[in-house]
Amino acid sequence: MATIDLSLTPVRKANELIRQYGAGGEDVQILNPDARHHIGVGLTHPIKVTVRGSAGYFCAGLCDGPTFEIERNVGWGLADNMLNGTVIVNGNASAIPGVAVRGAEVIVRGNVGSRAGQVMKEGTLLCAGNANFMAGYMMYGGRMIILGNSGAQLGQDMTGGAIYVGGKINDLGTDAMLTDLPADELQELMEFLDKYKVSFNGTFRKVVNAGKKLKYARSEPRVRVIPFFEASGDNDYWNAKVQEDIHVKAQIGRYRIRGYGTSRALPHLSDLAFKRDLSAIPADPDVVGKVNMKTEIGGRSGANPIKLSMPVMIAPMSYGALSKSAKLAMAIASRLSDISENTGEGGMSDEQREEANQLIYQCLAGRLGWNIHDMQRANGLEIYISQGAKPGLGGQLMAKKVTPEIAKIRGIPPGIDLRSPSRHPDVLGADDLVIKVEEFREATGYKTPVSVKLGAGRVRDDIKIAYKDGFDFVELDGMQGSTGAAGNEVLEYVGIPTLAAIQEAMDALKEVGGDKDMPIVLMGGIKDGADAAKAIALGARAVAVGTSAIIAGGCIACLQCHVGQCVVGIATQDPEHEKRYNIQAEAENTHRYLESLRWQMAAIAHAHGYGDIHDMSRGDLVALTPEAAEITGLPYAPEYRNRTESLLVAS
Amino acid sequence: MTITVYDINRIRPPKVPDGFKDDGQDPHFVAAPCQVACPVGTDAPSYIAYIWEDKPSEAFEAITATNPFSSICGRVCDAPCEPACRRADSDGPLAIRNLKRFVMDQLGKDHHLPPVEVTRPETVAVVGGGPAGLTAAQDLAEAGFEVHVYEMSDRLGGMMVWGIPAFRLPPGIIEEDMDRMLKHCPGIKVHLNCGLDHGVTLDELKKRHDAVLLTIGAWWGKPMNVPGEDSPRMVDGVSFLREVNGGARPEMPETVLIIGGGDVAMDACRSAKRLPGCKHVKIIYRRGPNEIPARKEELKGAIEEGIEVVYNTQPVGVVEVGNRFALRCVETTLGEPDEDGRRRPVNVKGSERDIDCGMVIMAVGQKAESAELYTAGLMDWDRIKTDWDTMRTGDPKVFAAGDGAFGGSTIVMAMMHGHRAAYYVQAHLDGIVDPLPYRTPYRTRRVPIAQDIHWEVFRRIEQEFHGLGDNPVAFPEIESTYDRKSARDEAARCYRCDAETGSFDYNVRTREDIFVMARARPEDAMLHREVLRKRLDLHHTPYDENHKPALEDLVFLPANLSRLVIDPYRDACRVSCAIADQIELDLPFLVGGFDDAPVELRRALGAALAQKGSAYAGRIPLGETRAPWLQIISATEDTPSADAAAHIIAFREGFKPVEMVRQPGTLRGLAVKTADLEQAIPFALDAEFDLLLLDATPGITRPWPELSGSPDFTVIRDTLRILRRMNREEDIDLIYFGGIRTGTDGAKLVGLGAKVSMVSVAMALALGGRIEDGKVLFRGDRTGEERIDAAASLLSALSAEASIMARCTGKTDVQNIEPEDLRAITMATSQATGIQLPGKRQIIASAAE
Repeated sequence: MATIDLSLTPVRKANELIRQYGAGGEDVQILNPDARHHIGVGLTHPIKVTVRGSAGYFCAGLCDGPTFEIERNVGWGLADNMLNGTVIVNGNASAIPGVAVRGAEVIVRGNVGSRAGQVMKEGTLLCAGNANFMAGYMMYGGRMIILGNSGAQLGQDMTGGAIYVGGKINDLGTDAMLTDLPADELQELMEFLDKYKVSFNGTFRKVVNAGKKLKYARSEPRVRVIPFFEASGDNDYWNAKVQEDIHVKAQIGRYRIRGYGTSRALPHLSDLAFKRDLSAIPADPDVVGKVNMKTEIGGRSGANPIKLSMPVMIAPMSYGALSKSAKLAMAIASRLSDISENTGEGGMSDEQREEANQLIYQCLAGRLGWNIHDMQRANGLEIYISQGAKPGLGGQLMAKKVTPEIAKIRGIPPGIDLRSPSRHPDVLGADDLVIKVEEFREATGYKTPVSVKLGAGRVRDDIKIAYKDGFDFVELDGMQGSTGAAGNEVLEYVGIPTLAAIQEAMDALKEVGGDKDMPIVLMGGIKDGADAAKAIALGARAVAVGTSAIIAGGCIACLQCHVGQCVVGIATQDPEHEKRYNIQAEAENTHRYLESLRWQMAAIAHAHGYGDIHDMSRGDLVALTPEAAEITGLPYAPEYRNRTESLLVAS
Repeated sequence: MTITVYDINRIRPPKVPDGFKDDGQDPHFVAAPCQVACPVGTDAPSYIAYIWEDKPSEAFEAITATNPFSSICGRVCDAPCEPACRRADSDGPLAIRNLKRFVMDQLGKDHHLPPVEVTRPETVAVVGGGPAGLTAAQDLAEAGFEVHVYEMSDRLGGMMVWGIPAFRLPPGIIEEDMDRMLKHCPGIKVHLNCGLDHGVTLDELKKRHDAVLLTIGAWWGKPMNVPGEDSPRMVDGVSFLREVNGGARPEMPETVLIIGGGDVAMDACRSAKRLPGCKHVKIIYRRGPNEIPARKEELKGAIEEGIEVVYNTQPVGVVEVGNRFALRCVETTLGEPDEDGRRRPVNVKGSERDIDCGMVIMAVGQKAESAELYTAGLMDWDRIKTDWDTMRTGDPKVFAAGDGAFGGSTIVMAMMHGHRAAYYVQAHLDGIVDPLPYRTPYRTRRVPIAQDIHWEVFRRIEQEFHGLGDNPVAFPEIESTYDRKSARDEAARCYRCDAETGSFDYNVRTREDIFVMARARPEDAMLHREVLRKRLDLHHTPYDENHKPALEDLVFLPANLSRLVIDPYRDACRVSCAIADQIELDLPFLVGGFDDAPVELRRALGAALAQKGSAYAGRIPLGETRAPWLQIISATEDTPSADAAAHIIAFREGFKPVEMVRQPGTLRGLAVKTADLEQAIPFALDAEFDLLLLDATPGITRPWPELSGSPDFTVIRDTLRILRRMNREEDIDLIYFGGIRTGTDGAKLVGLGAKVSMVSVAMALALGGRIEDGKVLFRGDRTGEERIDAAASLLSALSAEASIMARCTGKTDVQNIEPEDLRAITMATSQATGIQLPGKRQIIASAAE
């Protein structure tokens, strides 16, 4: 057995050593742990690690296979997201032990803190003592055994799995209920206790999901959308769209749900113009070769940056919201255009990994599909805090789209109206976030950039926190960003426009001296090369396209993504509908769209006399509306409106 | 000529002359792929939508606007629209042609467009009464000219009559379209049995008329140039069809071969198959199944009728030994592409074989012939020498179009030639020397999208196919049209590529631009440039200097990092509140303004308000309900009621100080408007009133005052400014009234300083009201229970929306929403509400700026 003394070896070095011992099949003991964070994170070999003392945050986090024994107590996030393996804690565990576990056996011989087993999917969490409040909060599967008493709101918003309590139950949480415990299940419980030599003489009671909140009671009548202009701008106050909205809500009694982003006109990049007259841009087939577009993102802290052939990414969109075919087409297109693809919420598939050269792996609060192996084969990690379409809310996937396959990759029960949690179980504030980022870095050997995705709100403040928390880059999503399903009101009225978001971000970074240091990837309504070039001129390092890429791949913008019967096979999990989507053809269409975007960006930069797209600057822009001028601080120049059109007419 | 749907001309149509019927410049319209693929620009999306709406006359107008032969085309058009249909890539294109037939059959032969008069002194001669000539004749007649059609046969229709067999186009259909056209255009004069080389000369026509259009067709089969083709058993396809379509039913040999893979070949083979004596029919085609030009449906029909297709086979001669007759053929493979892009068939050496038969029909192309035109020097080999850009011949007064000028093609292409020729003929007659180039017009009838919930799942519906029928030699029609339900279901499938989307960002223009970008070859810099130029021009925003303030233009700032996220789907958020600590409400909304509503409504509303824990404000109480009543008292007319939970005095002519005795347990309030505030607020505070009802409408005592338009939000801004100035913000509760449409609006009003919002028109709509003439009208169209459910549901939805907004900002109580949680995204709204803009300066816009 190897020995690592943490009073001599820093945790980062120690974890490297543990992994080496793991690869060699040698067990390890840790001396003087002194409650240090991240001990044993990212271990994927079946060795035994013995911690001679207490461990801090995320002990045994993001592992698959090892056995841990901790002689004394542990901090929060014990065995975070552990797949296979065993963790035995001889003392107490702080909050959220067994968070998001996906198969491991976690035994705490003492008491556990609050929210034990939050969003766990599979495996067993045993607490031999008492459990604090909200044990089993939002658990999706697996089992939790509490031999002592459980605190308030046991099983709050649990979706699946079972909780067995031997002591008193303070109270049950929303949508949890008591149920009978069959004899064979009891037998299994006792066998499990025997296996870990835990004695229990009392009576178990079983708590499961009551199934009252998993699906909406009344389904929303489906209608095809009224054109945006009927209810946008200075329109009849009680227009047809307003009336339809009231009629529908008078039937369903809740807010409406749809796909896509804001339907209204908002101040946007199209309210800016290039000062230079671009109407005479030549049709130069070689212009792409005349402007440097290569962009690296994410090397700020020494990780391997994402390498892009142009400052464009595919925006995060989930397998779930989109069909597997559509996700594959995006991956292929990203490879053909040598940019990056992003998994979104729904986990990573082998095919997607194979097709995409650069793949960013998104981590959400529900940890749906999250696992160490995909983390280690990703080119970038992204912690989702919120998104432009529905900031403050988690993903929403209607029951029709939660197929057995989707449920499996996400680790959840099939057929529920999935409303993903929006608050990370282990990130309650900026301080926790720093520790979470470190955990990810430990798990990936500090080689993979870690980014944060933010829906635009108080960008000026949020971006400073992101900078201080050490993120390698920020994916900033304005309120024009789209989604597969969200409440209509949230889509329309929460967040600030993309244009305001990049402005506030750059101003804030300048204030803390980070404008040259932490890149911003701007998304939310980027449609063409002109939008992209303007975003870069305003300070974005790159842009990401989601909806536009999907449209290039055949989406007809009917806004019915949430229904799950997508007529072109993109936003569906119905095989009959998915069949309608031609992966190769749409991948090529999307690729051609990206190449057209490339040409447009290069042509704009070249027309300005720049040899590098990043030479574009604020000085190249004016504002066409008073709002755009106030939001960006650019000069208001209405005389630039429709300038090219008037030049064409004059000629 | 190939039609490319995804080229720049579709998303940026070239300029057209004034008066040209075209909607290409409409910012909310892009011609759909099917419309662009149609050579005459048929507004298919509109007629399809009209079919769903059960409006056949409107559909008829859209169909016939550019197509005088709609009944014919509804059956036999080669329908280039269908392969262009975007749904073709998913589960099959819309059956656009069949839907056209449905409309024409449904309306019957007597339906026609209203007649147009002759208004111009000039006359035009059209030589040849086929689709090109007659289309031109109709256009010119519609423009007011008298048009004389000279047709060498005994009836109008050209190849539509003589080329298409009756099983596809039954007798009567052609006459139907001709009658319709002549009723619509009395200025068309028809001269039958009269044409060039047949009783009239070009010089005579030029003398009689101000212009001459030659649409003489291509009536004669082209030779194959193989030895033995002059054998009497070798017949040319067009002549064969002409004979059969003229009524002949010749006895056929047992086996007949057809050479060629076009539409003439298809009609010839299917006709032969139906004739007496014929058992086997084989098509000999020199390329493969992917190259055969015949419409897929025709080919499929032929195969279903038992006709064999022999691909990759080229005739090289004829074998005639004694009684044996055979066609000598070689196998082919596909070589390099030729000038029209199709791969050239290459004969395989040593692959000769003989195919026995009794007759060979050659359908390898057609040609035009006219001895007179040849002599006049107007012919170029087998066509009339014609300039495509002007449709002019060598003679300045003579124009030409159609198969005779440009070679054999389809009916719809011939019609397009007709439109084009008419355009240039008219320009000539108008004295325009250098007209703008003609282009196909793209019109839209702006029909709303079909609201059929099954549009995504419906499969393409085919017409019923009858094949040869019981008595093939009678040529019974092969298909019957849809019934009404099938037609509507098929129509519901339309994507409506022409129609505006529900998204400003991804509006129809942007979507179509992206489609074009996605189909541009990377090296096609010309196309990239054109799309970019268009994108750079697209400044189109409603936010100019004159934009009005709107609640929609306030947004919430979500929680993220600087403010902690809560879980909006799960974490509790308080929605209840109490007005002046006394009137307890389970949600921050109350309802008002139903004083004049029918009693059933008032009763239902009362029940719903009690159920949801809301309250009612009005001059008279709702009646039997537990919901509290806030009595609106018109200062001059009403007396305070002891049943009311609050007395709120409203003024018809502006605020005046009033006496109001405090009743024990009853709150006192004032309904005030912006102009009242400076006087009314100090008064209300001095007199220790409990609440202000801020009226953003033209007057709360009027019926449905919210219907008069946008509310005056300055009432809440100024109220807060005055209260803050007096440092008495907490001393009086504010109820806001005016234009609340959603729970989000209510949440915004809380952010602006109101405690509760009053809803009126929105609730009336939920209860089944319809807005008409500035009033809300109700009908006895639902039960009391249904109304209670609707009202309660709306209240639930309003409450849920308000609370989700609070949760998104990280708040667990709606009442905790603050101005700081809001941003205005327009200057006008910032100014009217006192909320700052996001971005660089984060200012509150003021009127002075």
